[in-house]
Amino acid sequence: MVSSPHHLFTRSGVVGWWGLRSAGVDELLEADGRPRPIASDLIELIHRLGIDDLRERQRVCDLEILTMGISFTVYSDGENIDRAWPFDIIPRLIDGDEWSHVERGLAQRLQALNRFIDDIYNERRIIDDGVFPAELIDDSANFRPECQGVHPKFGVWAHISGSDLVRAGDGQLYVLEDNLRVPSGVSYVLENRGIAKRAFPELFQRYLIRPVDAYTDELNKLLHSLAPADRHDPTIVVLTPGTFNSAYFEHSYLAQRMGAELVEGQDLVVGDDDCVYMRTIQGLERVDVIYRRIDDLYIDPDVFIADSMLGVAGLMRAWKAGNVAIANAPGAGVADDKCVYAWVPDMIRYYLGEEPLIANVPTFRCMYDDEREHVLANIADLVLKPANESGGYGIVIGNRATPEELELTAAAIRADPRNWVAQPILDLSTGPTLVADGIEPRHLDLRPFILTGESSYVTAGGLTRVALTKGSLVVNSSQGGGSKDTWIVDRDRSSEPVEA
Amino acid sequence: MALLSRVASRLYWAARYIERAEGSARVLRAYGDVLADLPTTSLRWSPLVTISGSDVHLPAVIGSDEHQVAQFLIADREHPNSIVNTVDHSRENLRTCREVLPREAWQTLNDLSIYVRGAAVTSVDRRRRDRFLVRVVDESRRLDGVLQSTMTRDEAFEMWRLGRYIERADMTTRVLGVRAATLLPVAPGQTDAFNEVQWMGVLRSLSALQMYQRATRGPIDGPAVVRFLLFDHRFPRSVAGCLAEMRTSILRLPEYSTVLGAVEAADRQLRRSRPAADDGAALDAAMEEVQVALARLDGVMHEQYVVH
Repeated sequence: MVSSPHHLFTRSGVVGWWGLRSAGVDELLEADGRPRPIASDLIELIHRLGIDDLRERQRVCDLEILTMGISFTVYSDGENIDRAWPFDIIPRLIDGDEWSHVERGLAQRLQALNRFIDDIYNERRIIDDGVFPAELIDDSANFRPECQGVHPKFGVWAHISGSDLVRAGDGQLYVLEDNLRVPSGVSYVLENRGIAKRAFPELFQRYLIRPVDAYTDELNKLLHSLAPADRHDPTIVVLTPGTFNSAYFEHSYLAQRMGAELVEGQDLVVGDDDCVYMRTIQGLERVDVIYRRIDDLYIDPDVFIADSMLGVAGLMRAWKAGNVAIANAPGAGVADDKCVYAWVPDMIRYYLGEEPLIANVPTFRCMYDDEREHVLANIADLVLKPANESGGYGIVIGNRATPEELELTAAAIRADPRNWVAQPILDLSTGPTLVADGIEPRHLDLRPFILTGESSYVTAGGLTRVALTKGSLVVNSSQGGGSKDTWIVDRDRSSEPVEA
Repeated sequence: MALLSRVASRLYWAARYIERAEGSARVLRAYGDVLADLPTTSLRWSPLVTISGSDVHLPAVIGSDEHQVAQFLIADREHPNSIVNTVDHSRENLRTCREVLPREAWQTLNDLSIYVRGAAVTSVDRRRRDRFLVRVVDESRRLDGVLQSTMTRDEAFEMWRLGRYIERADMTTRVLGVRAATLLPVAPGQTDAFNEVQWMGVLRSLSALQMYQRATRGPIDGPAVVRFLLFDHRFPRSVAGCLAEMRTSILRLPEYSTVLGAVEAADRQLRRSRPAADDGAALDAAMEEVQVALARLDGVMHEQYVVH
């Protein structure tokens, strides 16, 4: 098949790329359909391979994912299904210089967010100084009064976070939300890389791609650093809700890569000495650091949801006594709220005295009369988000909703304005994606993972999620999203041609 | 770091289930061969069903029809000990303790489970069956090879071995139990040739024929076969051999005294049994006693390492 470099092909033949594009920008292609300089080697290789060879390589990847058992669990029709991880062979490339800036911006953001959480559970200076409204805390679904007065090590509460980034029509990356509770997806970043290396070995020779492998080691170091001061060779465990959780694969993966124990609530017990122990074949053994992948409300039936079968009675007591570290700390979710999000730029200025390096998406806060009136008047042109939902649930996209849906949403906003924010409808960037009909643009987002302790670490890239349905903006794996490997490319050898 | 009790239990069961699948596959292969050598009236497929444990799961429809029995043992989802179910159970147990095993081990079992799920139904058919059974046996062996060559000799490793060997010992007694069920009163005119063929089948189904011949340098004869399979501890599928391997593993685990006691009790039971090789009922009863001792050992291990 012959085609000019600024066209990609479909099953039926050569099709002008431009005709398939949406209004937004594409990660790999310029507005005129030519490859971006960074992507030229990749696009050239795809052309040289042709659609059949590319599909063959995709097939090998899919098979590998199946045999390696890279999966996620979906709950549907009353059954838990272990599904193969959806992976698109065409990677998403980001320029190294741009990424270095993003890394600094994310580290900055998480520093400010952690200062905020620590402040909220202690002095509340930010409220006294009139920068942040007290009422947002008092009725926040994620505020845990039980955590007040606690000072975790380094003042850090959200040790592991995954902020979602999107590239809008202006070409800029924006933070869409901060996931500070139990963000998942990092295992797939690492697995995707392993698969991509075998899918495109020739490109890994050609491009200077930043490795992602260090993450689990960095995570392990961070967790060790959190251990109570008197514990020298600390025991680290990953606490999972169990095999039926959608992210069980990841919990197991992280435990494997860190040499940590993977425990369920039933494996742990809190003693009369307020220390946490795990049940081993030799009896009880002390646990020092818990990387918990269970939501706050389920971790301790003595304090939160009383009939939780997932948690450990007494865990909060042990944590408050300083006998065990919990990452992320209980209560960290108070800053992971679509309302609080709107104040993050102010937090950065307030706590760090710096200007934010990465922008927030402009956000209207329905708790304020003027902003709410604007939202209600322009409801069809906005994305309406309830404050405390995750996984993309409850979100209403104004120009795709029916008049009845908009009516209901407007009523919900009037009834509970504090619980709603609105943002402009973004033209999410796209990336060429291999689908049934050939290669087509699909919308993308990006979830990098940020580790915060005594210092910060940001993954090189992150999890690029793809909305596989044509035109869709929903990238969540639980709702039919796919993934791509993300290459942070440093300019060096990439200008040389690819060998055949 | 000590092994979590829950993980210990899952490893043990992952090992037992894959060994069970492997054992069933070996027996099913060998049985087909034996039947081919016998007059059609003298032996049927139904005794094979006992291999799968008890008769409680046995649906009334299963008779002596080869296809029905093969379907029951290979692909029946209602039958907990069918190969397709035991491979799945093993995979599910291993999936939930991947963090203690080398990655390649999980991939081997996952790969087998994908194959078995896809191929079980069509492999009931005699023409495709052998290839399927060989693959089950080979992959199960490969899994142990991976562990043997890449896994640290820690408590997790010993738990795995315990699961393997207790199941293997159990399977050997079951194979002898099947033989017992087919030991017919010697009718006038029936020749010893068929008797020999059947004992050969027993040895084959435990992959023991060649080793038996090297060890005994004698003809295939019932009492010698029984002695070999129960007491020759140098042969790794003999019950005595399995108990010896379990003893080695148990001594590497913490707080082992009661568990070791249960192994010794099973060993004593085994030595007391001295079963007759020509009396079906006696052989069957002796094997059942050994099975009871093994079940007791299983219970003691559970008490000591899982629920304690």
